[in-house]
Formats: sequence, structure tokens, C-alpha cells
Amino acid sequence: MIELLAQTCLNAVYAASYISLVAVGLVLIFGVMGVINFAHGELFMAGAYAVVTLYADLHLPFLVAVAVGLVFVGCLGLLMERALFRPLRDNPLGGLVASIGFLMILQALAVLGYGVRMEHIPPATQEVIVFSDKVRLPLARLYVIIASVVLLAALWYFLKRTRFGWALRASAQDPEAAELQGISINQTARIAMFIGAGLAGIAGALTAPLVSVNPHMGHSVIVTAFIVIIVGGVGSLEGAVVASVVYAVVHTFVTTFYDGVIADIVGLSLMLVVLILKPTGLFGSADRA
Amino acid sequence: MLSKIIGSGLTRRTFLKSTAATALSAGLPGAALAAGETIKIGFLAPLTGPVAAWGKPGLDGCQIWAERVNAAGGIKLESGSHMVEFIGYDNEYDPAKARTGATKLIREDGVSFIMMLGGDTWPGVQPVADKTGMLFSTLLPSDLSPDTTTLIAPAEVHPIYNVTGVEWLAENKPELKTAVMCAQDDALGLPSVATYLAAFEAAGITMNEEPLLFDPATTDFAPVVTRLLSSSPDIVCLDTCYSDYVHPICEQLFQQGYEGQIISCTADFYDQIIAKTSKEFMEGFVFQFPDFDDPALNSDQINFEDPNGFFAEYNKRHPGEWGAVSWEYASIMDLWKAAAEKAGSADPEAVIAAMKEGGTGEHAFGDARWWGTELFGIDNALVGDWPVVVIENGKATIKGFKNIPDWYDKHGDLLVKHMKAYDQMWDQRG
Repeated sequence: MIELLAQTCLNAVYAASYISLVAVGLVLIFGVMGVINFAHGELFMAGAYAVVTLYADLHLPFLVAVAVGLVFVGCLGLLMERALFRPLRDNPLGGLVASIGFLMILQALAVLGYGVRMEHIPPATQEVIVFSDKVRLPLARLYVIIASVVLLAALWYFLKRTRFGWALRASAQDPEAAELQGISINQTARIAMFIGAGLAGIAGALTAPLVSVNPHMGHSVIVTAFIVIIVGGVGSLEGAVVASVVYAVVHTFVTTFYDGVIADIVGLSLMLVVLILKPTGLFGSADRA
Repeated sequence: MLSKIIGSGLTRRTFLKSTAATALSAGLPGAALAAGETIKIGFLAPLTGPVAAWGKPGLDGCQIWAERVNAAGGIKLESGSHMVEFIGYDNEYDPAKARTGATKLIREDGVSFIMMLGGDTWPGVQPVADKTGMLFSTLLPSDLSPDTTTLIAPAEVHPIYNVTGVEWLAENKPELKTAVMCAQDDALGLPSVATYLAAFEAAGITMNEEPLLFDPATTDFAPVVTRLLSSSPDIVCLDTCYSDYVHPICEQLFQQGYEGQIISCTADFYDQIIAKTSKEFMEGFVFQFPDFDDPALNSDQINFEDPNGFFAEYNKRHPGEWGAVSWEYASIMDLWKAAAEKAGSADPEAVIAAMKEGGTGEHAFGDARWWGTELFGIDNALVGDWPVVVIENGKATIKGFKNIPDWYDKHGDLLVKHMKAYDQMWDQRG
């Protein structure tokens, strides 16, 4: 039983890691730009396909493929900001609809470029850390956990300790006041989109050898991310991280000790309970809700 | 408006039927073919989306089949020889799109026969079938019911053939006594769960715990596998999981240190699973779908024409894409062609009568009989032998053929019991 609990905890830590990368990116984009980016799951998918192309097809080192995936998807974020969200800045609903359109474009491009079949990606590594006979942590999963901790810590430092980070937070809190202080809204939007998209991209790239990569893989990711940001509080980065951990722990334990279908029901119930008791989410504020 | 209509007592099924009837009432294309006219066959299956792996490879196989038949002079009916052409329609595994596709294929394209994957999409199409009398085929006989008189399941009796793998395992590895199972909670997964439960019970293999169901949207299978392995089973059964699940589940089993027996309905692209795990890990993996270069398919009992040549051509055109359904739709066409030539007509009614004449038919894996009243309420499933396939030294190998009706004659009561427990009998499905 102790081994089962320990293995389940390791599974939960991994799940929390990649969910938080995706959810924090989604929250950052919403916080700064006020846009709900429905294409965020497809940015995750784009990161995975970057690894398919560079690592599986062109045989570049895995970590190089992941780094390029981050930059590539970050640039997709810049493209979205310039082509979709900036022209629709005063129209949040328009931005949402545009992101749905972009989602379809990315899916169609993936289908055209790679077909509908599941992509085969060789494992980044088959090494496993063996704690005991039934408690094991594959190194590929450890990479995701480490990357998540490092990137989220770096993001925290960037937002709290750097000039650009202050500008980003100021834009998120009050865009008009920030602009009056000389902060470029366009520049903060670009930074937010690059980071937000890049986080989704690296999550997709790192997990690509661990999941089934296909053009529709973003769907379940975005659903989970929405649940997480609603629980954490829309617009709250801390909330997204905490909610990712809570959701991952609850979902993983319920899946292990009951079943996956009940786990989904419990996950959604968690969101409903939070919405009823604290409609702004665990860390959300009323003005963003 | 729609809510008012539905509120007035109109059910969804009635609404679908009336919609289809309206759409088709403008007049149906004549079934009679002019001399030399190309016979069109509808291919209504998921060509994109998560279930595309059980649609698109089938259409690719059919194109090869059509080229072979056309090169040999086409299909010979009373009206002369006819070339054959497939018209594909991507239903994205969506019932509404399947209904639209069926209507389009019949009205606009004038097809003589429509092949489907079936499953969740069949309820959308059934009103069209009822109205037009068009002959449809499905890969999933769980679509059959006494009402589906123009629906046949001539290629596979999913999931009943899964009993053959368990039976073989019990005969050849009697030391395996306990099993666990996981499955996606959907129309493919649940009847298969019931079938495997019956097969394990018949074989004297004990389930360590209830089958573990997961949401079809699941991407991380580590918790599922942790749970499966917690009871230290001799056998892990992957039910009829889609290949998008079989691969990550196998990888997780490997990474979490499992070294026991695995059995699954399918193992599409098993070479990729081996690449992600190891040849040793996959050694002895039991499933149900052979590669068609297997020498066992050259025996006299096999009715599929030139399976080795078909496999070679398929892999030349679509390298690495051979899967469970690559040959199945083509094998249905073998049956249809034989029946149409026997009837001298492509008329759906004449073809189905010729196909079922005598109660037997030439299934790809040997002569079989039309069967299914007890399970499906209608004898529209063609059932006979089915191969048991084992991965040996990195290659799928047929270990033998087992007869499904023989198993059913001995253990049918168990199958019915478990099917009823999962609400999967034809009179229980909504």
C-alpha cells in the first residue's frame, strides 16, 4: 500500500508539472491581454510536433528540439498577438472567436503536414529511477518535473524582480494607468504572448515522447487548463500553480483508487464547488472574474 | 423552436428519422446500372480525428482492391462488366456527419453499397438505411439489432473474436491465473470488457479486480497503470483500446517494471511500441490482427485473395501504416462482389439475399456462417474462425485459428451474462 501511495504521488507530481506549465501560460495571456486563448491546446500540440520534426524526423538531440519548440511556439504566440489579438484588443469576444479560428488552422495544418495518424517518437531516454520494485520514476518524466520547476521559478523571478516583469504586472492590473506611465501595451502584450505560448509549447515538446501526438491532442489539455484556471482564479498565476497541484493530486488519486471516469467527474465537481463557494476562484480577485 | 418540437413529444430518434425521410423524399437514385457504368461504393468512416486509424487505412486498402478488380475486368453483372470506384466521406466519427454523408452518398453519388466503421455513428445513419433500403456494412456487430435488416457485419465480430486470444492463452500458458483489465468508457470499450470477462471466466482465469475504465480523453496513463499493477496480476488485458491508448499504456507498463503477459484486441503499429519499450518486453504479446505477410494466411482455408501481395502493395504505398482495418473493408468488398456477381445485380436487396443464401459465406479467414440472433437479435454477422496473433522476436505471428461459434456453443451463457451486466445486449442499448 505504501508503494502504491508513493507511486501515485510521483504520478501526481508529473501531472501537476505539465498542467501548471500550460495553465500558467493561459493565465498570463488572459491576465495581460484579457483574451481567452482557445488555441492554447493547439500551441501545446505545435510544441509536440516541433519535437516530431526535429527529434524524430531530423534526429536532432531531444533537448535541442525542445528548446527550438519553445521558441517556435513562442513565435506563433507573437504572430497571434500581432495578427489576431492586437486588432481586436477592444473586443475580447472577437479575440476569443479569432483564437478558435486559429485553433482550427493549426489543427488543419497539422493534418496536412503530418496526416491524421499518431506520430511515433522514440523515447528521449528509457532510463528509470528505481526507488523500489513498484516505485519508479522514468527519467523522461523527471525532465518534465525539473523543467516545470525551473521555468515557473524563472517566470516568478522575471515578473517580480525585473523591469519588464513589473511592466507586465502593471499592464495586467490596469492597462490604461500603465500606458500613462509610459509602458508600451504592445510590448507587454508581445512578451506575454511569447512567454504564455512558449510555456504551452515546451510542455507539449517535453511530453511528446510520453503521449500520443496527433493533431487533436490539444483538446483534452485545454479542457484541463480551463478547469485549473477557474479553480485557481482567472488571472492568478499563483492560483494556476496551486490549482494545478490540487487538480493533479485529486485526479491522479481518484483514477488510481477508483477509476478515470470518476476522476473526471470529481475534477469537474471540484470546479463547481469552488465556483459556488468562491466564484472568483481560490486566488482570483473580483475585478478579473 | 427545436426545443418546442422536442417538448411536444418528438424524440431525438424520431427527429432524425423524419429529417432523413424529408431529405430523401425528393427521390432516390435508381439501383439499376447502365452497361459499362462504374459501380460506386460509399466509404463512410472517420478519415480524420482520433478514430481515423480505423477508417483511413481501410480506404487505402480498398483503393488497392479496386485497382486489382478493375485490372481483372471489373465486376461482372447481368448488365455486363463494371469498373468499381470508392467514394469516401469523412464522418469524423460523428453521428450527424455520418447521416449527412450517407444521404449524400446515396442521393448525389448513387452508390450501390456503403461501408462504415459503425459504433457511435450508426444511430445517425440508421434512419437513412430504414428509408432507402441501402445495404450498409459495419465492423462492429454491436450495431446490429432486429431492426437493422440492411446492416451486415461480414468482416469482424468485434468484440466476440477476443475470446479466441484468451482461450489460446489458457491452453498454452496455463500457469497464468489472474488478470486485470482497463478500457475506455465508450461503445467500443464496454462490449469488449464484457467479452473479455466472459472469456477469462470460461478459461478459469480470475479477475483481481473490476475492469478499470478511463475517459476517452485521457492522455496520461501512469495512474491507470499504477492501479493495474497494484494487484500483481499475471495478465494485463488492454481490451479494445484505441492505438492512441495501447501505445502509452504499454510504455507505462514497461517503465513501471511490468514483466508479465499482455493481451489486447489490437496492437496497431506494434513496431513503434517495441521501439518505445523493448523486443523482450513485447515478446509473447497476444492480439487478434495479423500482418498479411504471415505464411499462415497462404493456407487453403483463407478466402482473402493473395494476402501477401496485398500486404506488400499496401506497405509500398503507405509504409508503416498497416493496421487492424487495412484489409477488413477490402475483405467485405470480396464478399459483396461475389454476392453481386451471383445475383447479377448491384441492387442492395438482391445482393444481401445472394450473400446470405444458404446461411454461410466466405469470410476472409475461412468459410463462416451468418450468425447472431442470440446476441444481436439478427443473423447478420458472418462468424467463423479468427486468428490468434503473438509477437515473437519482434514480429506478429499467427499461432493458430480458433472457431468463435465453437466457443460460443460452450460458453455463450457467460457472454450473455456479462453483456447483460454491462447493458450491451441488443435490447438494452439505447
